[in-house]
Amino acid sequence: MTQIVELEGVTKDYGNSTRALSDVRLSLRKGNWTTVMGPSGSGKTTMLNIIGCLDSPTGGKVNIAGVDIAGLDQRGLTKFRRENIGWIFQQYHLVPYLTALENVMLSQFYSGIVDEPLAVEMLTKVGIGHRLQHYPAQLSGGEQQRVCIARALVNEPSLILADEPTGNLDQNNGKIVLDLLERLREEGHTIIIVTHNTEIAGLGDRTIELVDGKISLDRINERKHGEVI
Amino acid sequence: MFMRILGKSIARRKQRVAIAIVAVVMGAAIASALMTTSMAMKDKVGQQFRNFGANIVVIPKSDTIEVGLPGITFGSVTEQRYINESDLWKIKEIANWSANVLGYAPFLYQVVGVNGSDGRSLNIVLAGTYFNRSVENVTKDANGNLWATGIRRIAPYWDITGKWVKDGNDRRESIVGTIAAKAMGLSIGSVYSVNYVNPDTQNVTTRDLEVTGIVNSGGAEDSQIFVDMEVAQEISNRPGKVHSVQVSALCTNCPAELIGQEIEKSLPTVQAKSVKQLVLAENQIMMQLEQTMTLVTVVALGASALGVMTTMTTNVIERRKEIGLLKSIGADNRRIAALFLTEAAIIGLAGGAIGYGIGLGLAQFIGQSVFQSSVEIVPIAIPITMAISVGIALLASALPVRRATQVEPAAVLRGE
Repeated sequence: MTQIVELEGVTKDYGNSTRALSDVRLSLRKGNWTTVMGPSGSGKTTMLNIIGCLDSPTGGKVNIAGVDIAGLDQRGLTKFRRENIGWIFQQYHLVPYLTALENVMLSQFYSGIVDEPLAVEMLTKVGIGHRLQHYPAQLSGGEQQRVCIARALVNEPSLILADEPTGNLDQNNGKIVLDLLERLREEGHTIIIVTHNTEIAGLGDRTIELVDGKISLDRINERKHGEVI
Repeated sequence: MFMRILGKSIARRKQRVAIAIVAVVMGAAIASALMTTSMAMKDKVGQQFRNFGANIVVIPKSDTIEVGLPGITFGSVTEQRYINESDLWKIKEIANWSANVLGYAPFLYQVVGVNGSDGRSLNIVLAGTYFNRSVENVTKDANGNLWATGIRRIAPYWDITGKWVKDGNDRRESIVGTIAAKAMGLSIGSVYSVNYVNPDTQNVTTRDLEVTGIVNSGGAEDSQIFVDMEVAQEISNRPGKVHSVQVSALCTNCPAELIGQEIEKSLPTVQAKSVKQLVLAENQIMMQLEQTMTLVTVVALGASALGVMTTMTTNVIERRKEIGLLKSIGADNRRIAALFLTEAAIIGLAGGAIGYGIGLGLAQFIGQSVFQSSVEIVPIAIPITMAISVGIALLASALPVRRATQVEPAAVLRGE
């Protein structure tokens, strides 16, 4: 199976008056980097949350990694998220009283297997193997984001979802993070990035643009290695 | 990993956790103090009640004979009966409740004639009794001492001026009630004569007695004369006989009726009646005491629960993002609840342990100031205090934890 995400007529309403997503149809291939763009309030994050099982659609079908997630209850969604989704947040969302290593192990703990050497390996892979015992407050924004990426990767998820991963970073740290994501794509990970940054969009295999909850652009990109920001 | 998360999360919020522990400590200390006092002092309260005198009266079973003509009843006569003094030791040796029998005092009453202070002849009740007499047949104590009983054991409320009569020591000694002493113009050391007229033979027996003490009890005793049992038996020629026995029984849960039944089993010719007013008063006061203690404990625990609930609610509100994150990386509601409930249990355990210690000190203070005696440690109070503290902490955390499980990760992670 090459399709990992399939959305069919997905809508999402907040209350009676706000429609965040309207009849979204989308099919994403495994191993691709897809960039989701659009103005604020266009429904990008809502779509990402639905794909990442943090939110449920009001209507339509959502199939992730061959599983119809509409048929899952809250517990089932949590289990599915734990086993298949790796999240990278704009605000990093690290637990402040745990070290970098413990933050990565936290993700392992909730998946059922705590493997410290693997957590160390992941942090080394993202370039902060020397900062294992540092707390988030002792790390720079770029370093915190790399801990966040290591945490997302450690359970080997089918999908990596990144919501504005460079939004809070300076140019240098942003490049480091994007290089990392590029490397992950090369390793065969499926990545979906939500961003405002048009230059990031050029790095992906495909760019989706949302306007008012509808897909207004769906473009396959030419690969442009090394053209980061 | 769970304990590491828990430990670090608690260490990071030391002050808040300390406030919650203090809240539990307050409730646990009061619960533990009142529980320890209540459990340890039940016997002491019972003993205090025993200062008010006997609570069981033993009298001979009487046969009532109806008199009259065939078909017409004029009334009934009751044959005078006695209890054998030689059987009295059995009161202390009854089955099941032996330890509860603190003491007894037998009485043999007779009306004697005395000279009043104004020279006129007076009739007065003379009672033979035990003052503090060792009883041979009763099981000896651990040190091999004989068990002793008498008025001094069962009526500590008697206010004696002078000296007590020494049992079997001097056949002249007597204690005179304060009203009787005044009527007879007697004081300590006075020697006086009593005359007993045998109702059957009309023989008069005269005996010289000396006042060793004057009793002021506020009751009928103030108008009577008390002498050694043998003296009374000699005067009225009723050797080995007593009219009644007053028994002081320690009734923590007041089984006075049961003790009475056991006495009747041991001495089949007697009937043992509990002094209902005293028993009821004891029961009522004990019940009121327990109710007050329970009420105070409930209020204190309620305040503790409120304190814990406030802290846990603040905890959940402050950690909403963290909860959202944990959910996003796969923590289900069960695990989120476990995190907060374990923290609550730790708060409960810590608060319970400290509270128990403080409560023990408080119980000693209550014991010393109210009962003038120290309070023994009641081992069962430890697990009960711990269980109550943990239970209160968990119960108070129920609502905050429910709130934690309702956190929507998508909403909190995007900053709503």
